[in-house]
Amino acid sequence: MTDSAADRVARFVDDLLHGRRPRRFAASQEEAEAMSAAAGLVAGRVGADIPDKAALDRIHRKLSAALNESPVLDLRPTRRTWLRTLGTAAAAVVVGVALDEVATNQPQAGTGDGVAPVLMPDNGTWRRVAAVTELPAGHAMPVSTGSIDAVVVNDGGNISAVSGICTHLGCKLQPDDANRKLNCPCHLTAFSWSGKVLYYKLKSEPATLPQIPVRVNDGQIELFVV
Amino acid sequence: MVAVTEPRLAGLPDPEVAEDPASAVYPDWEAVYQDNVVGIYRLVFRRVGNAADAEDLAEEVLMQTLKTLRLPAPVHNVRAYLVKTARTVMADHWRRHYAARDAALELEQLPPDALLAPPNNESAERAQRLLGLLPDNFKRILELRFLRGYSVREAADEMGVTETNARVMQFRALRKAAELGKEVLT
Repeated sequence: MTDSAADRVARFVDDLLHGRRPRRFAASQEEAEAMSAAAGLVAGRVGADIPDKAALDRIHRKLSAALNESPVLDLRPTRRTWLRTLGTAAAAVVVGVALDEVATNQPQAGTGDGVAPVLMPDNGTWRRVAAVTELPAGHAMPVSTGSIDAVVVNDGGNISAVSGICTHLGCKLQPDDANRKLNCPCHLTAFSWSGKVLYYKLKSEPATLPQIPVRVNDGQIELFVV
Repeated sequence: MVAVTEPRLAGLPDPEVAEDPASAVYPDWEAVYQDNVVGIYRLVFRRVGNAADAEDLAEEVLMQTLKTLRLPAPVHNVRAYLVKTARTVMADHWRRHYAARDAALELEQLPPDALLAPPNNESAERAQRLLGLLPDNFKRILELRFLRGYSVREAADEMGVTETNARVMQFRALRKAAELGKEVLT
């Protein structure tokens, strides 16, 4: 039985609607137009065109390998990395100073590897800043513990925290969830959720945002702060 | 390459804040990736309609761009280059996998602005507006299939036609939607 154009396009649509990569075939101009319209309609389903985190991670890994660079380390501390970090932290982080000082004392990211410093105060304790339920996936939330302003991020279920203060001149950062970044309201500078500088319009590149140790304990997000 | 604009009074916001962020600078490829990967993915998804192809094509667009660019580079230059690369990559996709030379050519001739991914809800609104312009039976078959997830058989039963008729109706409805999309919505 020979397929008609309507059959081939219907198969293409079925593949799209089932989330499959469509089978390839030689399409006429009319079929290609119909297929293109179908792709647009699928993209019109709410949320359909938003990539999942696994896809973004795969793209990042491939770019990283091809561009001959080491993958950028994800320093967001999990419970495991937190334990490892404690052992080596003394040499790597600035201890017992105000957050602004930490930020301005970091080496400029343009000369380094973009690795974020970890803010680890001498006499820190775990302090609750929000319930996990207050921070849905795909959102960032400014929090303050009095001594420290931070931004807590839920990136597809992974909770992390960075300083909420721009490393340029200390303005409070504003989350831009749609674009997964933190904007400085004072100058043209933006940071990723992991604290990396995305772009800037300054004489020199500002430093990466310090990471703040974070954990989830009994449904509460806690930061290790003073 | 890096624009020089420090505030005159340290600590005070300056007039730069009202400018377009695109006049800022990307320091390295990681920044280009993080700021654009979602936008590029959404842009290609609108043209291919499935996650597997969108992921491959988004990767290809970024790879080609990042291998060519010298960084640091102005944000607006990088974004313009990304969109132009996306146009070529998507046209190649249609040419290579579906032998769709005319569709590819049409894609290559689109102005870059027409390709930009719309804000989050705009794709859905655009789809709704498009459906609203179709004749009733075309609108019905596309709503059943794309919005309510009916199979061809289920849609045929719902509309009281044969499966073959439903497939033909779907094909014609999509062609009409493509035509209207070009004439009315772009």
